[in-house]
Amino acid sequence: MSADQGVAVVDRTRCVGSGMCIVYAPGTFAHDAEVKAVVLDPPGDDLETIETAIEACPTSALRLGGEQEEQ
Amino acid sequence: MTTVQGLNRDRLKELFDLRSSYNTLMGGDFQTDPYPLWARLRAEAPVHDGTVHRLSGYSGEAFFQGLPFPEVPHFSAFTFAACDAALRDEVTFASSPTVLGESSETPGFETSMLSMNGAMHRRYRALVQPSFVPAKAGWWITKWIEETVQLLVDGLVDQGRAELNVDFCAAIPILTITHSFGIPIEQALEVRASLSQPAKIAAMLAPIVAARREDPQDDLISVLVQAELRDEDGVHQRLSDLEIYSFAILLLLAGSGTTWKQMGIVLTALLERPELLAAVRSDRSLLRPAIEEALRWTPTDPMFSRHVTRDTEFFGKHLPAGSVLHLCLGAANRDPARWDRPDEFDPRRPVKRSLGFGGGFHICLGMHVARAEMLVGIGALLDRLPNLRLDPDGPQPRYIGMYERGATEIPVVFG
Ligand code: HEM
Ligand code: SF4
Repeated sequence: MSADQGVAVVDRTRCVGSGMCIVYAPGTFAHDAEVKAVVLDPPGDDLETIETAIEACPTSALRLGGEQEEQ
Repeated sequence: MTTVQGLNRDRLKELFDLRSSYNTLMGGDFQTDPYPLWARLRAEAPVHDGTVHRLSGYSGEAFFQGLPFPEVPHFSAFTFAACDAALRDEVTFASSPTVLGESSETPGFETSMLSMNGAMHRRYRALVQPSFVPAKAGWWITKWIEETVQLLVDGLVDQGRAELNVDFCAAIPILTITHSFGIPIEQALEVRASLSQPAKIAAMLAPIVAARREDPQDDLISVLVQAELRDEDGVHQRLSDLEIYSFAILLLLAGSGTTWKQMGIVLTALLERPELLAAVRSDRSLLRPAIEEALRWTPTDPMFSRHVTRDTEFFGKHLPAGSVLHLCLGAANRDPARWDRPDEFDPRRPVKRSLGFGGGFHICLGMHVARAEMLVGIGALLDRLPNLRLDPDGPQPRYIGMYERGATEIPVVFG
């Protein structure tokens, strides 16, 4: 599955590993070994919770992926 | 085992009383509730001319990030949208007035990550972020928080009454951080007292840094001595002693007073609402939302600042390059455009990010540690002090302070 088909997409150059997304949607986001956010598959939160977490990212490193996304 | 009871109470009180002279520089003598005024300013315009303290009617001199800089124009943002936009745009709104060089001569927060920008900030932050992620909260709790909290409660539990602001809330964060550095408890208050003298703190840290370079342990200074910084050409290099001192001083400055006061605000907000306190006591899953709500409702640091790097039109104001934009996070956190009934303290409201821990690339590094300290601290009080309530015969707590807000005192009775 390509990154864009997941429920959310992480811009790794903008992610600083703050962990805000994990606070708001712990079933969907985690950190990898480099302390960058990764999206769990399948996501463990409902869409509204995931959107709250995406909006909470302080560095605008997250956006919705898959069908929710235009391009 | 170290004895927390060995802490000198009078010294603690002197260092941690918001009204004592140590803290007036940050506007500790500001007594009025600024929120009604901030609501009016926010409704009038997103951005105003002047500093937040002047606009709030505080006539004293206040020092904080972005202050005083008397020679440049000052502006202040009051809406959520404006504060959020500025925090997210580090190119236009920088964290220091000038670009910091790599090699600085003096330790202190002016030369720390807090004042860095762009790629340089990212490299330093990446060194320490792994020790400050949610997955590390358990490490912080079991190694540095839990025991201190239980010892502090041991000291109160048989007395039937206590003053929680200084004897409890203030003690936890300073002991957590000094403990995680390997500083002995007897020196913790000396560290707190020396925050404005970086050279003294560096001297206290020097033997620990040297020892950890020889023989790393499972603690924070060891993380710093072992961390490798990759420069622009990909060359790895270790942090210098000076860089470690600066980082340690930043952690002490950013992590002790803040968590103390925020924990006092959470506790006071709950004690003032006995029904809510009872609900949290019986359903502990409400404690986390109560902490988040307090960070929104009354963030201890209601203002941070940015330096404008280029002329910009911003929410209806022309901001010239070189000016300072103050971000009134306190006002932003009660913006009715984002929250219904914004002035109400309601832990059951829908979950949504506030700016209590800031935003953008400089968002609080220690937020998961701070959350863990508040959760473990307040949790232990609820577990071990039955029928905890405000002392009906004592002075009632008030929220005071301009740029470092907190409760005056929190006298309680229990049992
Ligand atoms: C409830 C308590 C706390 C609050 C409300 C708080 C608030 C904040 C805020 C608003 C910022 C952003 C400053 C800016 O944008 O210029 C910040 C940054 C920071 N905080 Fe906290 N903080 C708290 C606790 C802590 C703790 C416990 C630590 C460390 C153990 C800590 C370490 C830091 C550091 C290192 C930064 C600078 C991050 C950077 O520049 O990238 N804070 N904090
Ligand atoms: S909130 Fe944003 S910056 Fe923080 S870990 Fe998640 S993606 Fe990264």
